[in-house]
Amino acid sequence: MRTPGTTVSAMGHLGLIGWLIVGWGFNAEPLEFSETSITVVSGEEFDQMTAARTPEPGTADPTAPVQPVVDVTPPEPPAEEEPAEATLPPDPVEPPAEDTPPPPAPTPPPVADVTDIAPDEPLVPVTPPPAPDLPVVNDDPTPQQADVVSSELVEPAQPDTPIDDVPREEVIPDESETAEEVIVEEPPAAPPPTTTEIVIEDETPSGAVETSLRPVTRPSRPQPPAPEPEEETEVADAEPVTPTEQDTSEDEVAAALAAALAADTPADAPAAAVGPPLTGSERDSFRIAVNSCWNVDPGSVAARVTVEVGFSLDREGKVQGDVRMVSSDGDPSATSTAFEAARRAILRCQSGGYQLPADKYEQWKDVVITFDPSGMRLR
Amino acid sequence: MMKHILAVLLVLVLAVPAMAQNGPLRLTITDGVIEPITFAAPNFEAENAQAQQVASDLSRLVVQDLAGTGLFREVPATAFISQVSSFAQPVAFADWRAINAQALIVGAVAVNGQQLTVKFRLYDVFSGQELGDGLQFAGTVAGWRRMGHKVADAVYSRITGEGGYFDSRVVFVSESGPKDNRLKRLAIMDFDGANLQFLTDSSAIVLAPRFSPNGDRVLYTSFESGFPRINVLNVANVGRQQLQTAPGEMAFSPRFSRDGRQVIYSLSNGGNTDIYRTDLSSGQNVRLTSAPSIETAPSFSPDGSQIVFESDRSGTQQLYIMGANGGEPRRISFGDGRYGTPVWSPRGDLVAFTKQNAGRFHIGVMRTDGSEERLLTSSFLDEGPSWSPNGRVIMFSRETQGVAGSSTMYSVDISGRNLKAVPVQGGASDPSWGPLQP
Repeated sequence: MRTPGTTVSAMGHLGLIGWLIVGWGFNAEPLEFSETSITVVSGEEFDQMTAARTPEPGTADPTAPVQPVVDVTPPEPPAEEEPAEATLPPDPVEPPAEDTPPPPAPTPPPVADVTDIAPDEPLVPVTPPPAPDLPVVNDDPTPQQADVVSSELVEPAQPDTPIDDVPREEVIPDESETAEEVIVEEPPAAPPPTTTEIVIEDETPSGAVETSLRPVTRPSRPQPPAPEPEEETEVADAEPVTPTEQDTSEDEVAAALAAALAADTPADAPAAAVGPPLTGSERDSFRIAVNSCWNVDPGSVAARVTVEVGFSLDREGKVQGDVRMVSSDGDPSATSTAFEAARRAILRCQSGGYQLPADKYEQWKDVVITFDPSGMRLR
Repeated sequence: MMKHILAVLLVLVLAVPAMAQNGPLRLTITDGVIEPITFAAPNFEAENAQAQQVASDLSRLVVQDLAGTGLFREVPATAFISQVSSFAQPVAFADWRAINAQALIVGAVAVNGQQLTVKFRLYDVFSGQELGDGLQFAGTVAGWRRMGHKVADAVYSRITGEGGYFDSRVVFVSESGPKDNRLKRLAIMDFDGANLQFLTDSSAIVLAPRFSPNGDRVLYTSFESGFPRINVLNVANVGRQQLQTAPGEMAFSPRFSRDGRQVIYSLSNGGNTDIYRTDLSSGQNVRLTSAPSIETAPSFSPDGSQIVFESDRSGTQQLYIMGANGGEPRRISFGDGRYGTPVWSPRGDLVAFTKQNAGRFHIGVMRTDGSEERLLTSSFLDEGPSWSPNGRVIMFSRETQGVAGSSTMYSVDISGRNLKAVPVQGGASDPSWGPLQP
């Protein structure tokens, strides 16, 4: 049925089709395109090409695989051991005597190994020692939470106690005192861990090691409480490692150091200069500055006199007060001349003040210079 | 054991810095500089009109003396910031420090008729202090040079700590004429060549004059009689006295003892030359050596206890030391070449000598044990060293090569520096440096 709408629709469609046919609808910018060359090959050529890339089985003898080198040395402790060491601060163990063979792999706590008689000769394992019974390390870094809450923390056990497994034939403890105790007593066990507050799991730190695993210096030993007579035995029991050569040497070093420092700082001595000391270059520059004004007459009798003069400097490096003679060594008749030459040198070269580090003033406010012309005498 | 060593080392390492930090900063200086000391000497103030010229001349003479030693250097007046118009005026040390004058000499001169008065002060500029007290000399206008030398001696002594030598005289042999007919006569002059006077005429050859310790007499060798003889000449009146020797003997190379009352010399008799000592007052002779070799050129030590001389007893000419009364000598020279004319230093620590080696002549010094030999000069012919009164400078004669060669006197510091000719008109040789004048 033909209606005006149908007519209009038909005319519109025809117009649109005609407009498209004429090309007006494609009058647009050409799209960018790329060209790819195509070569037509036959099926035989394609088979040849594929055959060249795929080796035929049995045509080439494959090389034998390289046998891996088996390391017969004892395996290194697994990496998982590191956190265990980190949790227990390592105690630098003094190597045994020079003629002692390399120590075996770490062994478990010394309960079973410690005897009252030092071993005659450490056994050198012929075969690689079995892997040590490593402490079980929980992969979960979260520390085990304490189930006991206390008002004060309990200090951990001696960190170096369980790992001192190196035979020490040099150490012969006093059998009358400690031999039985070492044998009978169980190794010290750390008291049950406690905490001062209830720890919420979400707020618990991860416990993962965040800094260096190995401390730079030996951690200080915890100060034991004032021992009571009854507890002395327990303290001794708690330290199965008797004093060794290492400890005695360290004690000697510490004692000597303390004695030296004590000797340098007597109670009645003046207060030590504060601040860092002058560096070598700073001392040299000061020395050179005075050198350049120290005029030596090598032909004079004064050239055979060594004088020591003292003076004070202000913060600008200028001499304040008098330059004084501290001591002299040589012909007394020429001492005065030698001193005058030294004083002249100090005063001449100060012109604008000696160039010295201001922050180290306490180090150079008082100066004593020895003028020794022995190297400049006529020979 | 290692731990014990470690403990000790640790203590040392830690203790030393700790000690250094407790007391004053301590430094040791072993290397200085060798350079002249700078000084400023403004013209001395003329306190009256008559003193104007003398003040200027005297100031310049002081500067000349000091600078001539090589140990001092004058800061020229053109560099002065402030002027010294009055002797009593306070010193502006900052102005003199600014021109790096280490010493400042301030003086004043007054002339009243023929009377000359000189006063001076010496300041250490950098310490701002006066070195010693002010001094004043009085003399005649004609003797103004001696006044200047006195001032220079005082300055020299106060700064160096040693005696000066400016107010001293030198007796020597003045030479004239060609080399093959050279006329020689004794002459005396100030140490710097001024005030030259002749003590003898040139009718006879004279050699080796030697001052007495106090400078009042001169010993010398004269060929007036055809043989060498020793004469003692009084400097004041030029009177002479001959040392008696036997006929046929040749006496030469004399030198006074330290007290001036004895003379040691060489006496050659029968082909052998030995050293003798004669007491001038009694005429008594003492033979000090008796070796068949030639012993000559004796010189007393300052304390008079020893004598250094030359001898060829070892086959070559070497230096020996023996007691003042003779005895077994000990040899002190062992280097290559020949050693001669030894002279003991007034300080007593050194012996100056002439050395001939490899065709060259040298003036050198060595310690009295023969160690630390140092040659100060080298030329075609250097010989005859003589010490300055303070033992710091050596004067000697140097002769140039060739027919027209002439002899000139030179001086050199015992450090080997400051070698310079002594300004003398005509030829001059064989100097003997006298003592400081009173």
